[in-house]
Amino acid sequence: MPDVELDPVIHAQARLRVVATLSALGAGDQIAFPRLQKLLEMTAGNLSTHLRKLEDAEYVTVTKTHEGRTPATYISLTPRGRRAFEVYTESLSMLLRGAGS
Amino acid sequence: MTSLSGSNGDRPLDPAESLRLIAAQQEKVKDVEPDGRVLYGVWGLAWLLGYTTLYVSSLRSGAPPATATLEIGASDVVGQPEPWAFLAFTFLVVGAVAITIVHIMTRVSGVRGASARSGALYGWAWFISFAAMSMVLGGLARAGANPEVMSLASNSLSCLVVGIMYLAGGAMWQETRLYVLGVWILLVAGAATIVGLPDLYLVMAVAGGGGFLLMAFVEQVLRVRTRRRLAGGARA
Repeated sequence: MPDVELDPVIHAQARLRVVATLSALGAGDQIAFPRLQKLLEMTAGNLSTHLRKLEDAEYVTVTKTHEGRTPATYISLTPRGRRAFEVYTESLSMLLRGAGS
Repeated sequence: MTSLSGSNGDRPLDPAESLRLIAAQQEKVKDVEPDGRVLYGVWGLAWLLGYTTLYVSSLRSGAPPATATLEIGASDVVGQPEPWAFLAFTFLVVGAVAITIVHIMTRVSGVRGASARSGALYGWAWFISFAAMSMVLGGLARAGANPEVMSLASNSLSCLVVGIMYLAGGAMWQETRLYVLGVWILLVAGAATIVGLPDLYLVMAVAGGGGFLLMAFVEQVLRVRTRRRLAGGARA
């Protein structure tokens, strides 16, 4: 078994799905909270919790803004988050190759 | 399963499961992109029905030369569609434009940043191109272009705009199928213009509308295949 560490911030079902979703958007794109919530089919509270953890790791940026009078929250993957996700998927492939041999 | 605390999403994953989750989620993110099946399907139907209407109508109005006796002067009775046919065609195209705009706006809502900006600029490019095309057509009419020339020009210029915009979109988003469709529309428009009236409308309906519908079908096949692959992975 190769010695591969999986990033614990990403290696949890909910956060992995969040990061995978954000990474599928173009670099520099932001997505509104309700739209992200819908793509993930998570509750608002649950999503907020995981976003906070990702924000603490500086993997995502949460931007609070106003659209007219309505407050809106936009989420995007930071370059650091994008790199972390790439490293994570590479590690997964390595683990799988290691497991196969 | 060791614990049910997985409901909060912190359950450890095995690598294969992780990769599958990533693939499934990336497939889900296609919800924020326009669906090719809808757009190609709508335009395929609009072209197929609209151009068929124009063709049938122009055959009716241009019926005399079809009666074997080619008298002098009869040959310049080129079948032109009747006003109701143009009205039906316009209705179909306007409907397709409306569905396209609503579909795209709904899909991309809530996403902002670099790709939203590209998308907006691309959307405006359509409006600007068609506005310029209308001015060109107006100029041609003023210069005395006859109805046949106007029919050929309006159809070929519209298709040039559509084809080139598809090439641009295909290049910008690396959407090979969009690019292929652009190439096909340009070729069809060129061929239809050489064929001339009234068969131009038949070429547009069958090859143009058919091209869109074929691409809608290809999109559907690819979608089903991806879904099946993801489902297959989940069972493994």
